Amino acid sequence: MPELRASRRGLLALGGAAVAGAAASGALAGCDGDGNGSKAATPVDAKVPFYGAHQAGIATAAPARLAFATYDLTVSGSPEENRAALRELLQTWTAAAAAMTEGKQVPGDSTTLVAPPADTGEAYGASPANLTITFGVGPSLFDDRFGLAAKRPAALADLPKLPPENLDPSRSGGDLAIQACSDDPVVAFHAIRNLARLGRGTVVMRWSQLGFGKATSNGSAQETPRNLMGFKDGTRNIDGTDAQRMDQYVWVGNETDQAWMRGGSYLVARRIAMRIEAWDRDFLADQQHVFGRYKYSGAPLTGSKEFDTPDFGAKDSSGQPVIPVGAHIRLAAHENNGGIRILRRGYSYTDGIVSASGELDAGLFFIAFQKDPRKQFVPLQRSLGAHDALNEYIQHVGSGLFACPPAVSGPDRYWAQELLG
Amino acid sequence: MSRPVPTRALRAAALLAVAGLVITGCSKSKDDAASAKGATKVKIEITDDGCKTTPSSISAGAATFEVTNTSASKVTEAELLQKSGEIVGEKENLTPGLSGTFSLRLEAGSYTVYCPNAKTEKATFTVTGSAAAPSQDPAVKTALDQAVSGYKQYVIAEVDKLVPATKQFTDAVRAGDIPGAQAAYAPARYYYEEVEPVAESFGDLDPDIDARLDDVEDPSQWTGFHRLEKALWADKSLAGMSPIADKLDTDVAKLKSLVATTDYQPAQLANGATELLNEVASSKITGEEDRYSHTDLSDFQANVAGGQKAFQLLVPALQKIDPQLASQVTQEFTDVLDALKPYQHSAGVFVDYSTVSDDQRRVLTQKVDALAEPLSQVAAKVTG
Repeated sequence: MPELRASRRGLLALGGAAVAGAAASGALAGCDGDGNGSKAATPVDAKVPFYGAHQAGIATAAPARLAFATYDLTVSGSPEENRAALRELLQTWTAAAAAMTEGKQVPGDSTTLVAPPADTGEAYGASPANLTITFGVGPSLFDDRFGLAAKRPAALADLPKLPPENLDPSRSGGDLAIQACSDDPVVAFHAIRNLARLGRGTVVMRWSQLGFGKATSNGSAQETPRNLMGFKDGTRNIDGTDAQRMDQYVWVGNETDQAWMRGGSYLVARRIAMRIEAWDRDFLADQQHVFGRYKYSGAPLTGSKEFDTPDFGAKDSSGQPVIPVGAHIRLAAHENNGGIRILRRGYSYTDGIVSASGELDAGLFFIAFQKDPRKQFVPLQRSLGAHDALNEYIQHVGSGLFACPPAVSGPDRYWAQELLG
Repeated sequence: MSRPVPTRALRAAALLAVAGLVITGCSKSKDDAASAKGATKVKIEITDDGCKTTPSSISAGAATFEVTNTSASKVTEAELLQKSGEIVGEKENLTPGLSGTFSLRLEAGSYTVYCPNAKTEKATFTVTGSAAAPSQDPAVKTALDQAVSGYKQYVIAEVDKLVPATKQFTDAVRAGDIPGAQAAYAPARYYYEEVEPVAESFGDLDPDIDARLDDVEDPSQWTGFHRLEKALWADKSLAGMSPIADKLDTDVAKLKSLVATTDYQPAQLANGATELLNEVASSKITGEEDRYSHTDLSDFQANVAGGQKAFQLLVPALQKIDPQLASQVTQEFTDVLDALKPYQHSAGVFVDYSTVSDDQRRVLTQKVDALAEPLSQVAAKVTG
């Protein structure tokens, strides 16, 4: 849509000066907030309960760091043998995850001098720093290897093609997924590393992604963080403490065709590469029109404060919508999507530079939780994919879909026990 | 121009001092003390004059050596050598302010603490008495005794084959016969790669025989198989290579005489097997080992075969200690060797490694990792 873009730009350039003024005043406030937030020390006892009804790491306010990994099973036996191997793996993993979220070492002997320590040790003595370890299973688990096809939830349908996307198979999919979040990056990495090691011979890591500077707020108590484009992200997100909305949009309820998923949620992960260099060259007013918000205050273009409700009907003096037709917040808004909401929990990422171009390899590792991706993420992304002005600056390059079962209720249970039991 | 240098050096020293404090702090924590429970503590203080070992005599059994360098600038490592000269433990790269530990189980005898570049490089260290009799099933003890003597015979036999195989290779080099030398290269290396961890325990012998270009500071001092490999495949000239060929023969002969009198402990067999697998993952699968000839898969097979031999010798004992681990590791060895088969033309002859894709290499690595992880548990099981 080059012509659309050109006209939008032309229009915006005219009003640029006024917009720039508003933005500058917001900048100071933004700086203050940042300074206070990033220096808060993590208390040693910052622990998130592992056992319960719902898995931690979904409603839980997102800590600063992410380590995400997907794993493929390498089993080659009969479905019964393969299920037994998977069961054993999940028993081991669940026990290790419970220990790590408590700030303890991976169970086993780590002091015998003549044996490799059971725990790799890099998080030894560190606070768990709000570590959560969230587990999910991908659509591929329900192929013929495990004899589980009849237990595949309808909501775990493979994601359809969602143009414009350019998915790299080596950064997509996986039989199992682990989302580890903590305020300490070492603690988060330690989790996916030790689970990989414990699964050696049964699983191999398929891909992994580290994330920093939680790019999306999911709690009312949090200062809304910014993505790498410099915009606040998650202003209108579901607040994890809002039990009613969590039940309505995020937790799987009685509507599911698979009882083992009741109390769980579906995770969609998308590695969204940003064309950072091009974005950084875009003039401020255009950046703000792409999002539909002021860069520094985070207010919608029709408001003055971050949490003002956007007025999608508002027109300027020339009769054009104040929040442009292709603005990201317009297309993503629940008002414009039949009331659809998702819980987002994204993180910024960078993996150095793209060797072919020398440009930064960075973007948003988008994570969303929901009741049913077919009715939530998929229609939302179709709408964004078709019209979002942001598409000029981003590309979806990796993808994953996982069914996260409910939490384990106590130490005698393991992840997805109802699925495998 | 000269000013920034001392400033920088100073700053680096200060940083190291801080790092040293951190390490010292950690080593005093409760759990580290617990981890060395029952082990005799020995302090080795590195100084430019020599290494001070306190105490200089201990009783046989588990020992933890704490090596510290407070201010020595010329000496940065301490090694513990057996009477035969074999390194049994060491701590390297200890610049001033740093400390580190190594732990091992020592039999009675006379040892040497070796601090290279110190004024007095060597000091005697004595271990007296005998280690408390391991509470081991006599049948296990017998099986382990057979394992270590079997391994000694195996190493001697493979090095016996290495000597003439190397001679065939070096003869071709001396004769300027490039195709002949190329054909003899991988078969000769095979016997070396089977027993590499043993060769590595003899100080400079392994670098002299098997160093790669990036392992040597001065390329003009580079010797061994890979120097000749470069001449054969990259330079395509054997000019000036006869002295290198002669030295390789000498070094291999040295290895032969050393292995004739070297004895092993059960844990060394298991750890050596794990090291061989680590070798595969770190240098064969990356294609670094034989970067000019692309014969990496032959070395790969030799490493796995050498590790499998050591493990198989331990199996009778391990079956009595942990039968599940014994059968798991046995199966994983089979899986790795099976995974290699599609790349084999005929016995010992493999496809050019540069034709193996990244995806294929990844699968091979994952098989090796799946084997090496449980294999790394074996040493503790067979240690009395």
